[in-house]
Amino acid sequence: MRVSHEWLASMVELSGVAPKEVAHRLTMTGTEVEKVADFATGLEQVIVGQVVGLQRMMHSDHLFLAEVKAGPDDPMEVVCGAPNLFVGALVPWARPGTTLPSGLELGRRRIRGVESHGMLCAPDELGLGSDHTGILLLSPDDAALGQPLSAVFPQDVVYELEVLSNRADCLSHWGVARELAACIGRPLQSPDTSPVPREGQPLGGLVQVEIQDTRLCSIYLAEGFVGLPKDPAPLWIRRRLLAVGQRSVGAVVDLANYVMLEMGQPLHTFDLEQISGQGGVTSVVVRQALDGERLQGLDGVERRLDTGMLVISANGKATAIAGVMGAMDSAVTANTSSILVESANFAWTSIRSTSRRLGLRSEASSRFERPLSPHLVPAGSARFTRLMKETVGVSPLPAPCVAGGLPRSAPPIRISSDRISGLLGMTVTADRAAEILESLEFSVGRDGNALSVTPPSARTDVSLPIDIVEEVGRIAGYDTISSTLPPLRQPPPRVESGPPLRLVADIAIGAGFNECVTLSLVDSVMRPPVPGMAGLLESLQIGNPLSTALGALRTGTLPGLLGACQLNQARGRERIRLFEQGRGFWPATAGDRPLEPDLIGFVDLSVEDDAEESAGRLQKVLALCQALGDRLSLQDTTFRAGECQGFHPTRCALVVSGGLVRGVVGEVDRRSTAALQLRGRVVAAELRADGWLTPGGRLIATVELARTPPLVLDLAVKVPVRAELGAALQAIRALEVAELEEVRVVDEYRGAQLGEGLKGWTLRLVFHDPNRTLTNRQGDLLRGRIAEALRDSTGAVIR
Amino acid sequence: MTGDDLQALASRALEEIAGAVDLDQLELVRRRYMARHGGLITSVAAELGGLSGPARALLGREFNSAKGTVVDALAERQVTLEEERAGGGLADEWLDLSHPVHHLERGHQHPVARTIREIEDIFTRLGYTSVAGPEIEDDLHNFELLNMPPEHPARDAHDTFYLSGAAVGWLYRTHTSPMQMRTMLAGAPPFRIIVPGKVARRDNPDPTHNPVFHQVEGLCVDQGVTVGDLKGTLEHVARELFGAERGVRLRSSYFPYTEPSLEADVACGICNGIGCRSCHGKGWIEILGSGMVHPAVLRNAGVDPDRYSGFAFGMGPDRIAALRYSLRDVRDLYENDMRLLECF
Repeated sequence: MRVSHEWLASMVELSGVAPKEVAHRLTMTGTEVEKVADFATGLEQVIVGQVVGLQRMMHSDHLFLAEVKAGPDDPMEVVCGAPNLFVGALVPWARPGTTLPSGLELGRRRIRGVESHGMLCAPDELGLGSDHTGILLLSPDDAALGQPLSAVFPQDVVYELEVLSNRADCLSHWGVARELAACIGRPLQSPDTSPVPREGQPLGGLVQVEIQDTRLCSIYLAEGFVGLPKDPAPLWIRRRLLAVGQRSVGAVVDLANYVMLEMGQPLHTFDLEQISGQGGVTSVVVRQALDGERLQGLDGVERRLDTGMLVISANGKATAIAGVMGAMDSAVTANTSSILVESANFAWTSIRSTSRRLGLRSEASSRFERPLSPHLVPAGSARFTRLMKETVGVSPLPAPCVAGGLPRSAPPIRISSDRISGLLGMTVTADRAAEILESLEFSVGRDGNALSVTPPSARTDVSLPIDIVEEVGRIAGYDTISSTLPPLRQPPPRVESGPPLRLVADIAIGAGFNECVTLSLVDSVMRPPVPGMAGLLESLQIGNPLSTALGALRTGTLPGLLGACQLNQARGRERIRLFEQGRGFWPATAGDRPLEPDLIGFVDLSVEDDAEESAGRLQKVLALCQALGDRLSLQDTTFRAGECQGFHPTRCALVVSGGLVRGVVGEVDRRSTAALQLRGRVVAAELRADGWLTPGGRLIATVELARTPPLVLDLAVKVPVRAELGAALQAIRALEVAELEEVRVVDEYRGAQLGEGLKGWTLRLVFHDPNRTLTNRQGDLLRGRIAEALRDSTGAVIR
Repeated sequence: MTGDDLQALASRALEEIAGAVDLDQLELVRRRYMARHGGLITSVAAELGGLSGPARALLGREFNSAKGTVVDALAERQVTLEEERAGGGLADEWLDLSHPVHHLERGHQHPVARTIREIEDIFTRLGYTSVAGPEIEDDLHNFELLNMPPEHPARDAHDTFYLSGAAVGWLYRTHTSPMQMRTMLAGAPPFRIIVPGKVARRDNPDPTHNPVFHQVEGLCVDQGVTVGDLKGTLEHVARELFGAERGVRLRSSYFPYTEPSLEADVACGICNGIGCRSCHGKGWIEILGSGMVHPAVLRNAGVDPDRYSGFAFGMGPDRIAALRYSLRDVRDLYENDMRLLECF
């Protein structure tokens, strides 16, 4: 919404208030000023000239040679391409040496053999809007020959406002002026809406108005005017419209637009002759559209309507989409001599949905889609009739046609100044509160500290006591409230819900992985197979996606991480280690809340395609998973061979803890990497943190720090090459050998002498008894038990 | 053995140490005098056990002195012999600073995750608890209970992704505010929580928008909480995040779930409030929306608005990260280019 400083100044005295100050005050009180721009600047050198001669140029189908003078001197020749010139026209003339607001400097120029002295200007060339359809024509009432154009178009400042969605009142100069008046403490001079005398035959004899559903239209008021002159609206009206970016298109429409921009009430003007039938009374009905009813709008586009949309029909034919756009065939034109002017209030929800469904937004609909006050209906109409009388000298026909009515006024809002002070956190006396509210045109009743407040009718956003608190707070200024902190009356509870994000990140970052954040939305057509915990689960689809590339919810973290691998590899990285913590989205049974597992994904990509090298990286990722489990799970974590969608069939392990599968680790299937055009081998893991990892992690159990020497024995065994160490260690742990302090593999060996399909492990066993020094004999016995457990679990044979 | 004998023994040891020509000889000398079992000097310790009184004290002192002298001399001679050793002496070993320093392979934090952690730390110090909420929500919690009935104009700014198929009726939360409601419905005041997490809006990606982004919601509800408390809290947070010298301002705004509603701006880091190209001439950059929790919202959450009041706010860590780390395009945060990640 654009507002003009000069227009605002017609309602609130702004002398001594700089535009920067206006912008600041409005911004701080909620109407954000996005931009402050000068309007009609740099027009001092452009002068008012008169066309005294005009002829078509030779060899041109569109250029004219105009003789222009600006005083008693001889006229000069100016070449011009505009179609709207005539002899006698008063026009803006930029003579040689003039610099236009755009910075263009004019000189003498030869065009088709004729010397042209400067140029005649269209509005856009003068910075007066965007109109380039013809030269700006000035009326002798407004402009005198030789006068600088800056005298005709005094400089103005235009504010571009971002109006809050609950403030329909601020979509008007009146509303913004009301805000400004309160901000700077000066009185508001509201637009004159006092009645004017009426003339002619009663409108009721020509038109009858009916509302079919008053829930969709509470009041409809129509005024009639006949005998319209052809004169344009006066310059001051057109100047204000131009300043805020509205084209001037003739007196009636200009005045209707003017009232909308000034008061906030959209008006619609119908050509009365066009909507009247053959004699008799024209029946205007506000009704829902018939299914399939068609209407060609002012923009020339024909639209198909349906029963959800509200229309204005005249003698049975839809002639406007209510509150959105009128029909082409009933529009006011240069030939219109009589009009019907609609001022109405429509249900904002209806206008909003119609405007959305038609994909059609107009100045009117952008106002009607918010809750406008019905009281603006008579006020806007009265303002229009007054301006018609004052500016073009046409009186309204006696008695407007009215259907529906105004709602009963709401009871006053009651609140005490203590409540206001208590919520704002600063002392506001009842006097001060009343002063602020009255400056916003609220009427305030007082009983000690108790206030009973009635907002002005335009303020549809104010209905509750808390709304009054906001009004007082924002006008008093939040900068006047002292900053405090709420007292902490009880210590915050310890909450250990959710995965231990930080601890996981610390461990992963320590292990050389870079933290990533990827989008939760993925391609709705994922190229299979997608590696991850979700396995074969279908992804949840977005019903209204922006694109198919963001059309589904991810089931896991790995597609996003592989995407990041692709990007980094394309940018020249050879080794890429990434991890992400975030939600996956898994379908539940129909109707139930979808599942949101907390997932941790790891990828480690090396550009080399080397099986041995990637086996080494796989081992490190296993170690990382092990470390996470050991640190953050309440239970032991082990690995067992398994198969998982999207992973190498034989290089894949499941992470098991507490008897449940908590994750998958492996080399990513080559089909997946190939689909992403990744070079090299990707080692990946996806873990499900919820139910497995907790911030507290494993309960800490300290060991007794034995002072006796440990007994260290090695145990060398032969096992099948695919034996699982996890199973072996679990079997050893199951023995519960109290003296066994530590067991680890210190050497792995493969060689022909072991035999086909076998490998060697050297396990180092550390025994410790805090009460005695263990003898070799005791150690041998314990080692024997362990060897037996190994044999039973993995088929190990002592070497 | 007397003290004199001990001194003589020590002198002999010192002579032999000085006479040792290589490390092997020196080792023989060490064993002769200082071997744990049977060394000529070390075995005197056993003799001490048989003495008592002043004699024991006297000989003990002599023993410690002699032993110390010999140990020092052995060490000194050892270093000398090592340095003299032909070819590979210590003089040929040096810290080679001409060699490039090895890169320690560590990972890096993501800027958004890092920002969220900082915000969590700031609020934890103020007594808030960080909680997580579901990212898939229903209309009731995302909108209706937050005073946004269907067709509410404020829903325009929350262009929503709706799920289809078996999950029809669910939506991706457009803000972290539903967790306000869930927290209040599940407990009793006072409440002091923040809710970091992902949200999604159907905005086409551009340098300042991403369809998926993060928010950190905050909620403080207690008796007597004021706009002044909101102001003090937000100013503190803004200064913690952007530095104590940066200006902060609160201006009036509108959200359906708060009343009064306020937006917080920080002064532009380049022009500090004057207006420049980087802030589009405004001088201020919006960092969060906030307000006093609307009485209707408190009532929907089962909290009596006549007894309790509170404030809520929602900030965008993506935007805050972009501002703090001078990133021109928020989409860069989701590319995960390692060149960017390695800066953190």
